[in-house]
Amino acid sequence: MQYLEKYEDQMVRCYYCQLCQATCPVYLEDLLETHVARSRLNLIHAAFIEGILPVTDRMKEILDRCLLCTSCTRTCPGGVALDEIFIAARHQIYQGKRRGKVRRYLTHQAMKQRGIKGLMGKLKPLADSMGLSSKDLPEPDPNPFEDRYQDVIPAKGQQRARVAYYVGCATNTLYPETAESVVRVLSRNGIEAVLPEGLVCCGLPALADGDIETAQEMIRANITALADLDVDAVVTDCTSCGMVFRTKAVSMLPDDDPLRSKAEALAEKVWEATDYINRMGLVESPGPLSQAVTYHVPCHAGLMETMAEAPRRLLKEIPQTDLVEMESPNGCCGAGGSFFTEHRDLSERIRSRKLENIKTTGTNTIITQCPSCRYYLSAADESYEVIHPLTLLNRAYEG
Amino acid sequence: MNALASDLGRLLSRERVRTDPEDLYAYSSDATYYFVRGNPDAVVLPENAGEVSKVVKYAAKNRIPVTPRGAGTGLSSGCTPIHGGIVIDTKRMNRIMEINRGNMTGTVECGVVLGNFQKAVERENLFYPPDPQSWEVSTLGGNVSTRAGGPRGVKYGTTPHYVLGLELVLPDGEIINTGGTCVKSSVGYDLTHLLSGAEGTLGVITRVNLRLLPLPPVHRTAVVVCETLDQAAEMVSEIIAQGTVPSKLEFITEAGIGLMNNYISPPLVSNGEAYLLIELDGTEAQVTDDARRLQHICEVMRATDVRVIKDEREAQTYWKARVNLGPMILRLFPKMVTEDVTVPRNRIPEFVRALQNISASIGMIIGIGGHAGDGNMHPTIVFPELNDDLEQRAKEGIKQIIKTGLALGGTVSGEHGIGLHKAEFTLWELGATQIALQKRIKQAFDPLGIMNPGKIWPQEVA
Repeated sequence: MQYLEKYEDQMVRCYYCQLCQATCPVYLEDLLETHVARSRLNLIHAAFIEGILPVTDRMKEILDRCLLCTSCTRTCPGGVALDEIFIAARHQIYQGKRRGKVRRYLTHQAMKQRGIKGLMGKLKPLADSMGLSSKDLPEPDPNPFEDRYQDVIPAKGQQRARVAYYVGCATNTLYPETAESVVRVLSRNGIEAVLPEGLVCCGLPALADGDIETAQEMIRANITALADLDVDAVVTDCTSCGMVFRTKAVSMLPDDDPLRSKAEALAEKVWEATDYINRMGLVESPGPLSQAVTYHVPCHAGLMETMAEAPRRLLKEIPQTDLVEMESPNGCCGAGGSFFTEHRDLSERIRSRKLENIKTTGTNTIITQCPSCRYYLSAADESYEVIHPLTLLNRAYEG
Repeated sequence: MNALASDLGRLLSRERVRTDPEDLYAYSSDATYYFVRGNPDAVVLPENAGEVSKVVKYAAKNRIPVTPRGAGTGLSSGCTPIHGGIVIDTKRMNRIMEINRGNMTGTVECGVVLGNFQKAVERENLFYPPDPQSWEVSTLGGNVSTRAGGPRGVKYGTTPHYVLGLELVLPDGEIINTGGTCVKSSVGYDLTHLLSGAEGTLGVITRVNLRLLPLPPVHRTAVVVCETLDQAAEMVSEIIAQGTVPSKLEFITEAGIGLMNNYISPPLVSNGEAYLLIELDGTEAQVTDDARRLQHICEVMRATDVRVIKDEREAQTYWKARVNLGPMILRLFPKMVTEDVTVPRNRIPEFVRALQNISASIGMIIGIGGHAGDGNMHPTIVFPELNDDLEQRAKEGIKQIIKTGLALGGTVSGEHGIGLHKAEFTLWELGATQIALQKRIKQAFDPLGIMNPGKIWPQEVA
């Protein structure tokens, strides 16, 4: 009950208004009330607080069948942090051992090394044993971002700000060109980017397994690397990393953690890169890019309105680029980090809803700020180009 | 696997019959879980009326209670399976069968979500007005079964005003069609409207034909700030009496606005005890004219402020906040009980004064608010903590609220239905003779007493 008890007061704020039925992507596919956030919450309360239900395989299945997309948290009028309660419940059930020893070791290594570089190559047989085949995950780029850039990328022209750039693990190894776009756009707009030493994964994959201790290890390492830097802001290209720094780092550390005040200060300073650029305003006007794009809002962008809105605002700055909004731009794509590798059928059904909405926009170019959404959407249809908004902006600059 | 599960599994499919304790718990109540819970023995997920019929026939043969369920948003324990048995979850029967522009009607399966239906008809420039505040998730079958309504009741009435016909699975499993898609009909007893609001005690509604209206092109929202609750209540009566009919006319207290400011953007600076949140709809000319008249009435009655919101996006944040207001109360208090007593509109000022007196007499806060424009108030008793003394005082408060409403010529329930939560009060409103008659109707439909037993008429049990 180490972590769950913290949420006891919140749990009873559930009014059974059922509004999470409107947004929970798992419920919308399964149409079984047990599989909606409200029921998960009430079952957790019944099992762990009241002790009136045992923890069965069915209970685990219900609690595992959740993408941690945060749709419910954003919907809940009672302000219940449902996703954090689900994480705490997974901790309660699995005590950090939701995965087998081998997978835990590999995940831990990958988190510390900021990506799956090497692992997929050197440890391919083990990766297979994790149930991750090459079909599930893209090939890592042989030349990750951290090998391309080090130290400081100076601002062009007059320097307006100095930021630390926290490159997301997946971006670093799978989509290094996104990271390049980020630093180029920053530089072009008078923002110096520092690439700090000692960064590790944001910790979200561990949180998804309820492994709060490992997540704390990551959070502490990142705070140590970032908190004392002389920078105006910390920017990241990934909305999930942004969400962790903004909201989870503080809530997942113990109340008496020595790094807590630093975590709180850092939370205020972290911005998704598109959000930050939009906030700072463009110094240099981009050139025209004659195309239509649609915007898939990553689930974890939703926790901060400006993070979700920034790409829309920024696209207006690119001449001849039309944003064609899809129906339900905030709807989940089904990826959920690595959720889709374990719930193939469910994830594909969630994705097909998204693909229908994309299709009616008539464009094949999708912008999104989450590498997991990006991979999962592009894997559905080779004709789709799924890119980060700053990659689009960088193209508009470089022609 | 138990016998019930395997029998039902043969009728539907194994995946659509649930008997695990976790699933039964998830279906054990509606939004009045604090009042009563009851685990069913099985939950079934039929996909059409034929499957519902099979399940009901099986239940009749084996004398098993059947409780139909929509989204489970009810506020009267209407779908709580207090006698166990089979819960029929209707949410997979979610096809919109037809939207007929030429006849201005729509036909839907019972599990269609209200909000989805509204979006679909609005794409055709049509309008389905009933708007219970759970519209984003509540089902049309549930809406019909509880005669659900919402803010638009003041101008457009509630769900039954739009129901033209129904398909019903009777308690013996036979299927009947009542009414039709004609806007008028005068054949026999009006079973369509007997079944609307029957809360699943007379059968399972599986399909609904609904009347539609043309979509009003313009909507405008206004906020009126009042110094006192009494002044706001007088204003509601006066607005109605003067013949200005807003599409929504909500009464909200200062505390309510405080909560709603979690959604209202930019937040409303509160400077009065009560607020009227008003929406006008129609053509631009009508709306402009109504707004002017409304402003005049409120100013004559010395409103502190009347603000017509020009920005439609800002206006939407007020209505989004209104949807979330009820559940948000639990951010401040561990428990609340909401009533839906409705009084004639000219008696609103007296009712509001009486509610303040009841609040003082039981020593608990009663949130005063609701769809005042149609006389439907939602007095909400809030619990600062949970204890037996407060439970007793709240119970006494509810009784007084209902007695007061009835004495003013009102009704126990305007839009939530009776279920279990209000069953003890039906006698006060209907009297013994009428209740006996209504029970004979129930007996005629459901001689075995298997359909949602114990609801509305608490005495009869399967």
